[in-house]
Amino acid sequence: MIVPFGHVLLLAALLFLMGLSCTIARRNLVMILIGVEIMLNASGLALVASSLRWMSMDGQALTALILGVAASEVTVGLALVMAVRRASGSLDADRQTALKEDDR
Amino acid sequence: MTAPVLTLLCPLAGAAVLALAGRHLPRRVAEVVAVAVVLAGFVAACAAWAGFDGQSRILHLASWFSVGHLAPSFSLKLDALSLLMALMVSGVSALIHFYSVAYMRRDQGFVRYFCYLNLFVFSMQTIVMADDLVFLFLGWEGVGFCSFALIGFWSEDAANVAAGRKAFILTRIGDVAYLVALALIVTSLASTSLTELNARAGLLAPDMVTLLGLLFLFAACGKSAQLPLLVWLPDAMAAPTPVSALIHAATMVTAGVYLLMRLAPMISLSPAAMLAIAAIGALTAFFAACAALAQHDVKRVLAWSTVSQVGYMFLGLGAGDLTGSFFHLLVHAFFKSLLFLGAGCMITAMHDDHDIFRMGARLRRHAPGVFAAMVMGACALGGVPPAGGFFSKGRILFAAFTAPGLAERLLWVLATAAALLTVLYAFRLVFVAFFGQPAGQGGPEALAPVPKLMLAMLWPLALLALAGGALNLPGEAPWSGWLGHVLAGVPGVAALPEDNEALVSALDALISLAGLLLAWRLWGPKNLMDWRRPAALAPRVHAFFLSGWKLDALYLAAVARPYQALALWLWRDVDGRGLDGLALGAANLAGNASRSLRRLATGRVTATLVMFALGLALILLIFSVRAA
Amino acid sequence: MSVYGVLFYALGGLMLAATTLAVTSRSLVHAVVYLVNAFFATGLLFYLLGAPLLAAFEIIIYAGAIMVLFLFIVMLTRQDKPLAGGVSLMRWLLPGLTSLVSLAAGTALVFSGGATGVPLAPAMASPRDLGRALFSRWWLGVEIVSFLLLVALVGALYLGRAPREGAAAGKSPGDAP
Repeated sequence: MIVPFGHVLLLAALLFLMGLSCTIARRNLVMILIGVEIMLNASGLALVASSLRWMSMDGQALTALILGVAASEVTVGLALVMAVRRASGSLDADRQTALKEDDR
Repeated sequence: MTAPVLTLLCPLAGAAVLALAGRHLPRRVAEVVAVAVVLAGFVAACAAWAGFDGQSRILHLASWFSVGHLAPSFSLKLDALSLLMALMVSGVSALIHFYSVAYMRRDQGFVRYFCYLNLFVFSMQTIVMADDLVFLFLGWEGVGFCSFALIGFWSEDAANVAAGRKAFILTRIGDVAYLVALALIVTSLASTSLTELNARAGLLAPDMVTLLGLLFLFAACGKSAQLPLLVWLPDAMAAPTPVSALIHAATMVTAGVYLLMRLAPMISLSPAAMLAIAAIGALTAFFAACAALAQHDVKRVLAWSTVSQVGYMFLGLGAGDLTGSFFHLLVHAFFKSLLFLGAGCMITAMHDDHDIFRMGARLRRHAPGVFAAMVMGACALGGVPPAGGFFSKGRILFAAFTAPGLAERLLWVLATAAALLTVLYAFRLVFVAFFGQPAGQGGPEALAPVPKLMLAMLWPLALLALAGGALNLPGEAPWSGWLGHVLAGVPGVAALPEDNEALVSALDALISLAGLLLAWRLWGPKNLMDWRRPAALAPRVHAFFLSGWKLDALYLAAVARPYQALALWLWRDVDGRGLDGLALGAANLAGNASRSLRRLATGRVTATLVMFALGLALILLIFSVRAA
Repeated sequence: MSVYGVLFYALGGLMLAATTLAVTSRSLVHAVVYLVNAFFATGLLFYLLGAPLLAAFEIIIYAGAIMVLFLFIVMLTRQDKPLAGGVSLMRWLLPGLTSLVSLAAGTALVFSGGATGVPLAPAMASPRDLGRALFSRWWLGVEIVSFLLLVALVGALYLGRAPREGAAAGKSPGDAP
C-alpha cells in the first residue's frame, strides 16, 4: 500500500487553497496566474489519485485534458498580461478597474 | 354536366380577370367582361335546366382537404330546387349587371365595383349549388364579404363604411351559429354532405335535430335579415342601388331562407324548430311592414319591405310548404329587383335625392316608364291580383292557415295583417312619389334624364313580376301548379290540402284591394295637401316605426354600450393599470435591485475572487454539515 | 509504512514547502523557480500514483514549457526585480481565513465518508491504456481541448501582435486603456 486515499485528497486541498489564496492576496498579475496554475495542478493530483483509488482511467484522462486546458489558459493569460502591461504600464491587478461603471 | 360548373365558375373567372388585370383594361372592356361572364353563367344555367332530367344528382368536383372525420369536398347538388334557383340568380344578376353599366357610368371605381359584383354572384351560386356544408360556408362567407365591400363601396363617406361594417358584423353573429351547427354535424354524423345530413337526420336524437334547426335558423336570420338580426339591412341602403337590388333580390338575403329550404327534410323532423321558423317569419313580416310604412327614403321603404317579404318565406317554410316559400322567393326576386332598379331610376332622375316627399307628380310626367314599372312592382309587392305576388303570398298564407296548430293560426292572422300593411306601404310609395306636390321641400330644380339602358332593364323584370304567378297557378288547369310538379322530387316538399283555398284566396284579394283603396284615400291625389296626416295624427308612433321599432337603439343600449364599457374597462383598468402596471412594476423592481447591487461592484479582480473563495467555503460548509 | 508511503510524504512535504515559498516570494523569478520544483515533485507523485505518462507530461509541459513561458514573460515585462513593498500581511488575512474554513470543512467532508480511508494499492497504468481511454471514451473531450488550443493560439497571436503605428487607439484591445 502507499497511503490512505484521504491523505492525497488532503494534500490536493492544501495545494488548491494555497493557489486560491495566492490569486486573492497577490496583486501582481503574473502571480495571480501562478496561483491558477497551482490550483489546476492540485485538481490534477486529486484526479490521478482517484484514478488509482477506483482503478479507472477516467481520472487520468481528465488530467490529460486539464493539461491541455492549462496550456491554453496560460497562453492566453500571459498574452493578456503583455497586453495589459503595454496598455497601462502596470501589472497591478487592483489598478485594472476599467470594467467598473463610473459612479453617477 | 359541365353547364352547372360553368354557371358557377364564369362569374369567378370574371372577378379574377377584373381583380388581376382590371386596372389595365379600358372601361368598356371591363364592363363587357363583367356583364359577359354573368350572361354566360345565365346561358349555362339555362342549358343546365334544359338538360335536367328530373334526377337529383351530386357532382363531385374535387376533394378539398381531410382532417380526421372532416373531409369536405367541392361537390354540387343538382336538383330542381338548386337549378331553378341558379337560373333565377344568374338571370336577375345579369339584368342587374346590365343596369349597373348605366348606373355607374360616371363612377371611377367601376373595376372594383364589377369585380365584387361578379364575386358576389359566384358566392351566391356556391350557396345555391353546393352540396357540402363547408363548401357552402365558403359561399356563405363570400356573400358576407362582398356585401361588406359593396355596401361600403363609396368609402369616402364614413357612414357608408359603418353600414358595411354593421352588415358584416351582424351576419357574422349569425355565422357563429352556422359554425356551431357544422361542428355538431361533423361530430355526430362524420359527414358534411347536405344530402347525407338530410338522409340520416332520422338517426339523430330529436333534441339534436331541434338544436341544429334552431342554429341554422339563427344563421339564416343573420343572412336573411330576420328578427333579431335584421337591423343591418335598412342601413345597407348605403350601397349603390343596383347592389341593393342584387342583395335583396338575387343574392345574400335569400341565401338564409334557401339554406333552410335545403335543410327542410332535416328540420321538418322537429316541430319546435318549424314553429320557430314560422314564428320568426310572421313576426318579422309584421314588424318590418310597420317600419316600412313610416319611411321617407325610397330605398329604405324597399329595404323594410324585403325584410317583411323574406319573413313570409320563413313563414311558408315553417308552415311546411317549401313549394310556396320557394315560389314566393322567385316572385319576390323579380318584383324586388324591379322595384330597386326602378328606385335607381327615380334617384338618378332626382340627382341622388332619396326622399319620396320631394319627388311628386313632376317625376311621373318626367319618366312615365319608371312610373309604370313602379306601379307594376307595387302591385306585385302588395299582392294585388293578378300580379305574381298575389299568388305566391296567397299560397304562403294558405299554408299557414291550413297548418295544424293554434300557434300557426295566430301567425296566419299576424301575416294577414302584415299583408294589409304591405299593400298600404307599397302604394304609399307610389302615390307619394308620383302624385305628391312637394311644397317648398327643396329638391332639384330640373330632373335628370334616365339612361335608356336602365329603363330597358325594367321591362323583362316587370313582365316576370306580373306574370310570375304563372309559375304555380292554383286550380285544376293543365298549366297550374307547375312549380309544385317540378319540385315534387325534392326532399322536404309536401303537398297542401285543397280545402278552403278559394276562401283564403278571396280574403287575400279582398285585403289587397281594400288596402289599395285605403292607400288611395290616405295618400292619393285627392288628399294632396294632407299627405302627412297619418304621421301628424300620431307623431310618436310614426317616429317609432321610422326608426325600425327603435331596435337599433335597443341593441345599442343593451349590447353595444355595455360591451363598449366592458372593453373600456378591460383596456384602461385591467390591461393598462393592472397588467401593464404589473409588468412595469416587475421591471422597475429588477432595475432598482440591480442599481443598488451595482454599488457593491468594485471592478477589482480580487474582489470577485474573494467572492469565489467565500462561495467555495460556504458550499463546503453546507456539505460537511449535511454529511455530519 | 512502506517505502512508497515514505516517498509520498516526502514529496508532499516538498510540494507544500515549494508552493508556500513560491506563493509568498517577493521576486517573480524566485517564485517561478520554486514552482518548477513543486511541479517536478508533482510529476514524481503522478508516477508514484501509477500514471507514468502523465508524470512525463507534467514535467515536460508544466515544469518545462509553461514555467519557461512564465520566465519569458517576467523577463519581457522587466519584473525580475523584487516587487516593491512586498506583500502586506493584511492582504493574506481574508484569503487565509476562508481557506482555513474551507480546509476544515473539506477535511471533515473527506474523512466523514468511509471510502477515503481505503489505502491505495500500487498499480501502474501503461501509456497504451491511457491512450485507449483518451481516444475511445474521451475522444470528444480531446477534440474540444484541441479546438481550445487552436483558439488559444489565435487569441494569443491576436493579443500579442505589435501595436500598429498610427492606428486608431480604440481599434486594438492591446491599445485599449
